Amino acid sequence: MRALFSRKRKNQKHNKKKNMRGFLWILPSFLGVMVFYLLPYADVVRRSFLGAVDNRFVGIENYKTVLGNTAFLLAVKNTLLFTLLCIPVLIMAALFCAVTLYKSKYGGIIKSAFLMPMALPAVSVALVWRLLFHSQGLLNHWLDGMGIAGNDWMNTGSAFWVLFLSYIWKNLGYDIVLWMAGLAGISTNIYEAARVDGAGERQCFFYITLPNLKSSLYTITVLSFLNSFKVFREAYLVAGDYPHESIYMMQHLFNNWFRAFSFDKMAAAAVLESVVLLALILLLQKAWDS
Amino acid sequence: MKCGKWRRAIGLIAAASLICSGFAGCSKGGAGSSENDAQPAGDQAAGRFLEEELDTGVKFKDIYDVRRQEDGSLRIVGMEEDAGDPGVWESTDAGVTWKRLYNLPTLVQDGAIGWWNDAAVSPGGQIVGVRIEMASDGSSARSGLYLVDREGKAEKMPFELPGEEDGGKKASAGDAKQQESGGNDIMNLQFPGNDWVVVQDRTGTVYQINVSDGSVKHTYGLNSYMSAFPLYVVGNTLIAQGNEQVLCYDLLTGEQRSSEEILNQVYSENGPFSAVDTLDGGESIYALSGDGLYRYKFGGSVMEHIIDGSVNTLGAPAFFPIALAMVDEQNLLVAANDINASSGTGVCVMKYTYAADTPAKPDKELKLYSLYDSAAIRQCISRFQKERSDVCINFQPALSEDNGVTVSDALKTLTTEIMVGNGPDVLILDGMPVEAYIEKGVLKELGALQIEGGSYFDNILNAYSGAEGQRYALPARFKIPMIQAGSKYFSPGEDFNAFMERKDTMVNMLPNEVVEKFWYVCGASWQKEDKTLDESKVAEFLTKLKNAYGEYDANVENNRISLVTTDRQEGTEIVSDIDFSMGNMNLAFGKCNTNFGLYKEMDYGMHKAINEKLEDGNMDLMPGQASHVFVPALVLGVSSKGRQPEIAEEFVKYLFSQEAQKIKQFGGFPVEKESFCEMIDGHQYEGKDSTYSITVGGEIFKYYKAPTPQEEITKLTELVESLTTPSLQDDVIKEVVVEQGEKVLKGEQSPEEGAAAIMRKVNIYLAE
Repeated sequence: MRALFSRKRKNQKHNKKKNMRGFLWILPSFLGVMVFYLLPYADVVRRSFLGAVDNRFVGIENYKTVLGNTAFLLAVKNTLLFTLLCIPVLIMAALFCAVTLYKSKYGGIIKSAFLMPMALPAVSVALVWRLLFHSQGLLNHWLDGMGIAGNDWMNTGSAFWVLFLSYIWKNLGYDIVLWMAGLAGISTNIYEAARVDGAGERQCFFYITLPNLKSSLYTITVLSFLNSFKVFREAYLVAGDYPHESIYMMQHLFNNWFRAFSFDKMAAAAVLESVVLLALILLLQKAWDS
Repeated sequence: MKCGKWRRAIGLIAAASLICSGFAGCSKGGAGSSENDAQPAGDQAAGRFLEEELDTGVKFKDIYDVRRQEDGSLRIVGMEEDAGDPGVWESTDAGVTWKRLYNLPTLVQDGAIGWWNDAAVSPGGQIVGVRIEMASDGSSARSGLYLVDREGKAEKMPFELPGEEDGGKKASAGDAKQQESGGNDIMNLQFPGNDWVVVQDRTGTVYQINVSDGSVKHTYGLNSYMSAFPLYVVGNTLIAQGNEQVLCYDLLTGEQRSSEEILNQVYSENGPFSAVDTLDGGESIYALSGDGLYRYKFGGSVMEHIIDGSVNTLGAPAFFPIALAMVDEQNLLVAANDINASSGTGVCVMKYTYAADTPAKPDKELKLYSLYDSAAIRQCISRFQKERSDVCINFQPALSEDNGVTVSDALKTLTTEIMVGNGPDVLILDGMPVEAYIEKGVLKELGALQIEGGSYFDNILNAYSGAEGQRYALPARFKIPMIQAGSKYFSPGEDFNAFMERKDTMVNMLPNEVVEKFWYVCGASWQKEDKTLDESKVAEFLTKLKNAYGEYDANVENNRISLVTTDRQEGTEIVSDIDFSMGNMNLAFGKCNTNFGLYKEMDYGMHKAINEKLEDGNMDLMPGQASHVFVPALVLGVSSKGRQPEIAEEFVKYLFSQEAQKIKQFGGFPVEKESFCEMIDGHQYEGKDSTYSITVGGEIFKYYKAPTPQEEITKLTELVESLTTPSLQDDVIKEVVVEQGEKVLKGEQSPEEGAAAIMRKVNIYLAE
């Protein structure tokens, strides 16, 4: 009995030591997160209850102002619309391409080609955009040559679809790579066994491939979601601080608020946005876990 | 296992050394830190040249040369105001008092016309002067060199420039300023020793001439481009500049010396040297450049920056040195052309004295921020620093041609700097969102600031006053949107609707300029009480403007007279495309039927001549949707987070003093009434025959610069007093309006589409 207790105590001690060692391993990273993310975030939360420059306490006034701000509501609407449209299309298109490439003999090479847009600097992409989509740009010139009336692409509702296509074009390769990594993790034995049992391509896809890619889907969805915020760079470089209203995103608003010293509104909006984002990610995780 | 322990130990040591080296890298001194760095802050280096403007007791309208004499005295050869011939003055007390010695003689005989054009004084007191002499029938003119001895007796030197004997200069007796040179001419003159003189002609060739017999000892074949820049002689070295380089020649042998790389380097960084002198027979030189005074020993590897021009007048935009005279190592005189000189003649003599007890650098720094560079503000900085030698004003305009920064980027950087506590003390708010800054508490309330020293146009000064009289931003200058045209195209007092119904009022005008000019007089009426824009007024603005503008002509640029003027500060535009003065020539030569724009300097002679040419020509306020509009300029604010609030307020107060208000640098009319009157009264043309003629395509337009009649001064003053509406100062809205308005005038979109586009973008901006 004493030996049993002694072993138990030894195990507890060992576990404690192991836990401590684990904590020490993540400590540098945690410190980084603390200094660069958590503390600044705490400061943002604090500022969301203060005045812009004078730092006087204003309660929830900033939140009220932000929620009644039409520019904020427009930016939220555009950002949500963009995200809700882009992410499903991107994920499905990337999955289709990944499955096709995975089966192809030249999949590896073509996969690299799909990654090329990611390697291009945003400034170069923006310059090409300007050349293409200006009211007197190349696209209108080509359309004119074909007898089709052109459009002022960046100053009409078309701007949204230009941004949409740009996002898909830029991120498709990255998602393909992620999907292909997931596909590579599925054992070929499962497919062979299914085929022996008479399963066709469709059954294999729906009953083997898709269920096994569930964990990848979570990662890809979160990463695509986060990448969707980076599309602002191109929109900003092409259309500046005040683009067409259909592509006026949250980042435009934050950018302009910063310039105008509206730190109060910025802080409140950032807190609201982070709460929504965190809730969405947790919901997504919960859905996957279940 | 043992191996694993060793690996772990090595890993730990490597990590520790990395961390330590990181900390070492962050330390302030580093391996290169000098002993001075270790000194406590209180032990600041001492010794600096202090500046004062000399009261010579003479009203010089021109100075040709200043030189220290062999006996230690100083001599100036120059032209006194209202005098016929130049005179020579001497000071035996290092410039404190001056005594006139003699005038250069009037040598013209037989009714011919002649005048002294340039002169240089030698260390021995002799003078070599250049005289322009015209034939009695006025058919030709030629320049001659004269040697004037210490007693003022002149004798012609037997020397003639090649090319002059072929008839000399063709000239018109009735219009001396417009004479055209058909022959050669002396461009530069130096009299470094007592035996020989150095002159440079129009072709760039330099002649080293023996004073006694006029024989040429050496010639130096420089190109004509280099004749546009001054050349200097120190000891036996001739220094010529131009083509981005400095060339040195030995006057004893006539050979070119090896290149002085340091001189070239300073030249390429700061531009040509404007005056040079020596104290040791030419072993080393003192040279004035755009950023102050340098000392250089020939063959050396460094050029010592002795006086920093950024903390005194030497770096002021309107300060153009004529001559430098080193009294000794601690005292020097600089004669210069300076339109803002206290003498009022545009010429001054500055004295610099080394003060051993004064800190080497001013111990207080005032940060001044502006989006745009301004010659006017640089001039004010220079004057203020002259008074406050303990203050250094750090003025870094955010936008320049070199850095490519946008207004938006600049404002974001400014926000960051202010929020980290490193922001400016004083802000020049032109082009900035003034109201947003006031609302956010960025600007300090200036109600307690007592602006003294004159009477002001309160209607202008209170442009940004709050409902309860709070003043956060104060315009130190202003511009007036004005129009000039013949009665066929405009009648004084006409309203916007009536003017827009007229035809051909905007012929040969650029769409973007038209929209921007009318933005100032219309935009002010667009804002509703809730600060949003009234779409119906925007649509009305574009519709009427389009009707008045008519069809866009793609060749409009070629049909106009283009005029670009810049001052010596690189990239600092003193005239903008929307200025009223830019349209004068187009109106005078009939290229345009009207001229409108921002009026910021009065040129009475020009306006009168144009009105006469137009027949029934008139000038009045520009018609617009808003009436009695003015454009605030040099809008000053003090940062609520600045580090030097007292000095900031003092500087702002200074900018409203008469001294600063009287500075003329194209920044707009002053808000102080006396300075305003002085700026527009044309007193500088009193008693002068200032006739100018401009020829375009064979057509000549003549005008006379003359003092402004009192009734015109009163009229403009009353007009200023009647101004009630400050223009909308928001570059974000302006940019959108100009962009969309240009498309409307070019026919790329309808006025309704333009108005809708403006509203879409501006409403987002205003909603933010």
